[in-house]
Amino acid sequence: MKKKSLIFAGIAIILILAANLPLAWGYFSTYTEAKGGIRLQPRKVDTEIKEDVLDWTKHVIISNTGDESLYIRARAFAGSEYKLTYITGDDWTDGKDGYYYYNGILGPGQETPELLVKIENPPKDPIDGQEFNVVVVYESTPVRYDDNGKPYADWNRKLKARERSAE
Amino acid sequence: MGKKRRIKGMTLGNLALFAVAAVLLISSSIGSARAALTFFSKTYTSRVQTLNIGVSLVENGSFIAWRDYDKKTADGNWDVNSVPVDQRLFQNLLDENENFLMGKVYDEKLAVHNSGNIDQYVRVNIYRYWVKVKEDGSEEKLLDLSPDLIDLNFVNTNRWLLDNESTTPERIVLYYDSILPSGETTLPFSDTLKVDGLAADHVTQTKTTNKEGYTVITTTYDYDGVEFRLEVEVNAVQTHNAKDAIWSTWGREVSISSDKKLSLR
Repeated sequence: MKKKSLIFAGIAIILILAANLPLAWGYFSTYTEAKGGIRLQPRKVDTEIKEDVLDWTKHVIISNTGDESLYIRARAFAGSEYKLTYITGDDWTDGKDGYYYYNGILGPGQETPELLVKIENPPKDPIDGQEFNVVVVYESTPVRYDDNGKPYADWNRKLKARERSAE
Repeated sequence: MGKKRRIKGMTLGNLALFAVAAVLLISSSIGSARAALTFFSKTYTSRVQTLNIGVSLVENGSFIAWRDYDKKTADGNWDVNSVPVDQRLFQNLLDENENFLMGKVYDEKLAVHNSGNIDQYVRVNIYRYWVKVKEDGSEEKLLDLSPDLIDLNFVNTNRWLLDNESTTPERIVLYYDSILPSGETTLPFSDTLKVDGLAADHVTQTKTTNKEGYTVITTTYDYDGVEFRLEVEVNAVQTHNAKDAIWSTWGREVSISSDKKLSLR
């Protein structure tokens, strides 16, 4: 009987010790975490051009109908017998690469001041049915930002475009 | 007679064992009794050596996340900041009404602080990814937008050791190479954050023909409703028996040199 009690008491001791064991075996550790995210603003790039011809001069205005700020450049083409002169004012600059660059950033809803493209030596007496074409090509590129948050234009930027056809 | 002997046997043998058991039981509950006492008596607290581990994440000098073992509460609760986990980072990144600009470099100095009273080894897990938040509020992880566009610039790379074994483009694991003493802050592991403008170059173009017969190309960025995410998880472990503690707690084999420097194996 004594022997039996000893066994039971021994088991009790082992159990009590075992209850304390996780404290001895567990390592001190802790953790913490933080999360954050920022939603990128949805933007649409969309522009429109308005061209009026008055007195052999094209009046070109480009407006930003999207919701992204843009840089704008434009140039015009005509037949080789007609020379084109650009009247830039203070708002456009000859980029010496064939393009004329709008000096500012065109914000959403804004339109550029006029870029005037004058056709020199127009035919004095145009024959009926004679076609005369001056084609204006313009490009826009979204404003990008450098490390310091300073805006710049990247005209060589390539978009990775997926095409979706719409009517 | 037989009955008497049985009682006597109980008294002599078991009484001693019972006493041992009682002492062990009492000793096992001393911890909580001591904690209760410290709650009432500051003088007593100062005499008791309690081992509390705690760790905090510091963003641009502000404590934004912590989990400290706090013996001041009777049940030894963890002291955790109450701000929801997903509202801790980037809270002061932008001024009011300021838009986040892609390509711009923002200050993002992240470091770890030992807010417990025992020394520790620390590591950080950084996760970066893109999600698209749908109109119903559910989120879809975007796997085709590269995590590299979320450019958290890592610094002090000679002290924060990159764990090549568990690092992926989405997850970066860094181990601090030294013991972080109680009350001290590590060197920062990052200094700036820039979300690369390349993310802006993924567009969808829609072609329409207007009434004059011109083709109009409308460009829509694919990042409509897209959000970049950063998660930082900090782990801390005791320095005593560090090699085994790190293996057991973090599942990583490390070497600890004689001057207590940690290196990855």
